[in-house]
Amino acid sequence: MFDIEKIERLAALKLQGKEKDAIIKDLEEILNYFNILKEVNTENIEPLVYTKGTKLFLRRDETEKGLSLEETEKNRELFGDNFFKVKKIIGE
Amino acid sequence: MDITELTVKETVEKIKRKEISVKETVQAYLKNIDEKDNNIRAFLSTNKEETLKEAEELDKESEKNGHIFGIPVAIKDNINVYGTETTAGSKILKGYISPYDATVVRKIKEENGIIIGKTNCDEFAMGSSTENSAYFNTKNPINTDYVPGGSSGGSAASVAAREAAAAFGSDTGGSIREPAAFCGIVGLKPTYGRVSRYGLIAFGSSLDIIGPLTKNVEDAAILTRVITGFDPHDETTVALPHEDYLNFLKKDIKGKKLGIIREIKDFNVQKEVNLALTNAISNLVNQGCEVLEISIPHLKYALPAYYLIAPSEASSNLSRFDGVRYGLEGNGDNLRDFYEDTRTKGFGREVKRRILIGTFALSEGYFDEYYLKASKVRQLIAMDFEKAFENVDALVLPTTATTAFKFNEKKSPLEMYMSDIFTIPMNLAGVPAISIPFGKDDKGLPIGIQIVGKWFKEGEIFNISYALEQSKEKDCV
Repeated sequence: MFDIEKIERLAALKLQGKEKDAIIKDLEEILNYFNILKEVNTENIEPLVYTKGTKLFLRRDETEKGLSLEETEKNRELFGDNFFKVKKIIGE
Repeated sequence: MDITELTVKETVEKIKRKEISVKETVQAYLKNIDEKDNNIRAFLSTNKEETLKEAEELDKESEKNGHIFGIPVAIKDNINVYGTETTAGSKILKGYISPYDATVVRKIKEENGIIIGKTNCDEFAMGSSTENSAYFNTKNPINTDYVPGGSSGGSAASVAAREAAAAFGSDTGGSIREPAAFCGIVGLKPTYGRVSRYGLIAFGSSLDIIGPLTKNVEDAAILTRVITGFDPHDETTVALPHEDYLNFLKKDIKGKKLGIIREIKDFNVQKEVNLALTNAISNLVNQGCEVLEISIPHLKYALPAYYLIAPSEASSNLSRFDGVRYGLEGNGDNLRDFYEDTRTKGFGREVKRRILIGTFALSEGYFDEYYLKASKVRQLIAMDFEKAFENVDALVLPTTATTAFKFNEKKSPLEMYMSDIFTIPMNLAGVPAISIPFGKDDKGLPIGIQIVGKWFKEGEIFNISYALEQSKEKDCV
């Protein structure tokens, strides 16, 4: 009922071997269980995302101190003129 | 006197009266960590030298200000603490050093609390036993053959084992209340919007909330006061006037209306848990509460709705872990292979399952049938709560249907998911709920009773749970 390769691609995961088999089996069981939601009449019901009392607001567009290069470098060595290294994207 | 048996309130008072020093307090808890944590394994990381240095600094202060002055607290490892490794129990964040403090952590530091360590949890807070941690299992200090619950299992175990005076965890579907119940301590999930999520590693953003795990209700009220409030860095926090929850504790509960949920009997609840619930209710009735049966008709649909909504949000939130800027770095000749390798190596099985479920539920052709349907069911559940609260002040129910289970006892993901049937509905609705220990089963494992309040009525549930806590010794077998 679901195309595992397509979902993996969308999720940027690449499952293999036994793990893949086990996960497919689990997902089938879980998705099957979700079918009980079909019993519920949700006609004219609005979906709920944020609960009571929470209102989204806009913050003033004021500059704040961001992360320093020194802090950033604690997690990943930057190179050249302070760039992150990524794999080649264009020209593939 | 064993300092580690004192409550937060008692400890702060003794420090302020100079009967004990902050250093002695910290040393007492560090000693317990040294002696017990090789076995319990509540902590992923501690920094003794730094902690002791902070304690010495606080002892030098002549003005001892702060609601938690000198109190050693443990922080769940999915909350950023500046300069510490924050892994969220995942290999993908191994070596990641937090470059900032979460708002909650900033508030703890402002009140002069001391962060004693980072606690183990299910990877990205996805689980109910802490067995999904990529690092190791945490044991239940009450009986080490059993799980401590999850996902904040390390936080709960650290308090139960007296390795921290109190702890903080996060609760997306029960991750504070279930481990609190399993370990015999108090755990509060505040109202969604009460506490800033800034600096909490996001799992299900519309459900996540940070809350305290403590030795008793009063300590929970003290810590809640420390962390709540509007935060410009989290646009879902609510600007409400500052509330002193401690003022609610000793109020008379006479005339309070309590709701018992009719549908609970449709679930398989352990005999002793049912008995504890009956005892708790009669305790509250003896103190003048009135009990009404109410209905949450969509209760049984909460679990499937949650396991669509939370993974959907997670699949989006966890897309940021790509190996480029921090954490694990995979291999690959091109960018896609690099991403896939990083994520496939970095995430554990349960996290992969949830990312895949969420990706599926949000994908073209399935969105309406799965995610949208679940979000509508969520609305119905919130409406059920709203209707119930027209007639009652709070709800009383078990935190979990059973006491703690053994390691490897839950064989399938669905079986594990069922552990949260009584805690998930509150996250979907956004209401506050507290779990307090109330009695034990025949194996000596603690039972948790849950008190659920109306939106932003934490004071009310502190009031009722405090009354229950105070009464239980004399009234319950």
